[in-house]
Amino acid sequence: MPPKSILKKTPAAASTQTAVAVAANAPPPPRAVNQRHLNTAVHHARIYEQRKQVEADILDAVFELLDFPTSPDADPTRPSPSDAHRFRQAIVPFQPSDYDGLIEERNIADKCGYTLCPRPKGKAPSTARKQFVETSKGVQIVDRKRLEMWCSDDCARRALFVKVQLNEEPAWLRQGDYGTEIDLMVKNTEEHHEALPLRLKKTAAPAPKDTEEEDAAAAWAARDDALADLAIERGETPGRLSKVNKDLITDKIKERVVKFPPTPPSLPPQSSGQSHMAIEGHVPKSARDAEQAKDSDDEDDKQDWDKALPG
Amino acid sequence: MAESDHKARQEMLDMWRIYRTTKEMCRDRGYNVLPEECSISFDDFARKFGTESGAIARGQMNFSAIPSEDMVRKYTPPATPKVPNPEAAIGTLWVEFNADENIGMKNLREFIHHLLNGSYYSGIMIVVKPLSGMAMRGIRGASALNGGNGPKGGIEVFLEQDLKINITKHELVPTHLLLSTEEKAQLLKRYRLKETQLPRIQVTDPVAKYYGLRRGQVVKIIRKSETAGRYASYRWAI
Repeated sequence: MPPKSILKKTPAAASTQTAVAVAANAPPPPRAVNQRHLNTAVHHARIYEQRKQVEADILDAVFELLDFPTSPDADPTRPSPSDAHRFRQAIVPFQPSDYDGLIEERNIADKCGYTLCPRPKGKAPSTARKQFVETSKGVQIVDRKRLEMWCSDDCARRALFVKVQLNEEPAWLRQGDYGTEIDLMVKNTEEHHEALPLRLKKTAAPAPKDTEEEDAAAAWAARDDALADLAIERGETPGRLSKVNKDLITDKIKERVVKFPPTPPSLPPQSSGQSHMAIEGHVPKSARDAEQAKDSDDEDDKQDWDKALPG
Repeated sequence: MAESDHKARQEMLDMWRIYRTTKEMCRDRGYNVLPEECSISFDDFARKFGTESGAIARGQMNFSAIPSEDMVRKYTPPATPKVPNPEAAIGTLWVEFNADENIGMKNLREFIHHLLNGSYYSGIMIVVKPLSGMAMRGIRGASALNGGNGPKGGIEVFLEQDLKINITKHELVPTHLLLSTEEKAQLLKRYRLKETQLPRIQVTDPVAKYYGLRRGQVVKIIRKSETAGRYASYRWAI
């Protein structure tokens, strides 16, 4: 049953009652879409979408790296090139805190915190929550969790070597291509460099140019290269959202029209020598009173002199 | 000896209360739960889920629940010309009591696997200690996990200590009633409101968590009032 109106029915309303009721209950007519508002909304929605994507990527990477290394007899000092490459690739969007999360997850799964180490995590001497540890600085009290993070000090060093290279800035805010290369502490460095796709610097062609045209073409090509490098530096990597949104910037230049010939600036008309008392053009009351008193004194003197005149 | 006996009995008692609260929670949400399951006596409980040594076997307490017809109707969105036969946004529920101290993404992955294998719609995990930070983040996007094939209804996590008592039975907690999509539409039409104009309730609110409210749903809250006898207000889950 539709809700009954409690409003009084006027004759006019009664005749067109159905139409009025529909109109009253209908949502307000849709307003015309402001193109600029729409663009802004879409721009921000894209940024959120990208952020969500990055967060999902990090979670997926943690899921994947939980099971690393792929072979159970891998050696953390000499990881297989494919594992190492995947690890280096997956860790790029991580923040140090995400990396800590990964270590914690691996420890919960009873594995050494270093991703490329297949051994189980270490065992603390006792099951107490806090433990005494002999260090070079004397005896320290340490959480049991921290003692059981790694299988050995060597793994700890390797894992923290990765951690210090991670970018503190969240991946969705990062600009440019910096910090995408993570180095590992490995003994078989040569193997990794052979296996990894190397990004070689383009060798400059030193061949002498015969004609001016070729020179010019080379100059244009160099300019295009430089522009592409700049775009990467701005963060416009291919496949990612551009930080520079062209839609939101209007490029229409409005000229100022001159209506009268310019006049040189001139001093304001001097008003009875008060300008030295003015504060930003305003003459305070005390100064004005003083001036008036002086004037009236003069007049008085005049009148006095008039009065004093005989006849 | 007496010390450990006392401890085991205390744990059994706690688990009995938690079990009853969980069953009541499923019943209040609208799943089919037998009344005798909600009011199981301590002796029966100990016989059913205790081992010979008197310890509790949490693995045996897991159960699944099927939504009642009323609940299915409530969760079915109204038919539209484009979708003449809408699917209900609810399904069988799997409740698991996990005894592990540390729960990380490994356990979460196993849990999701179980939900997918048993084709459960949603899952509830009842744990002793809070989950690790990464696992918590995983749960927030649970339906997007495994490349978008996670459990559709998501995963909820409750701490055992939060279920020791049923908070909705407290005298200061008013009755909360979930409105269906049609009831919500009717309410908005009656008062000529947009849903954003309603008062709100967070989905992390203890009572909202108890009823498993989702973003966008509306609850009717009925309070006692000295002047009006009863006073109903509506809140939009956010």
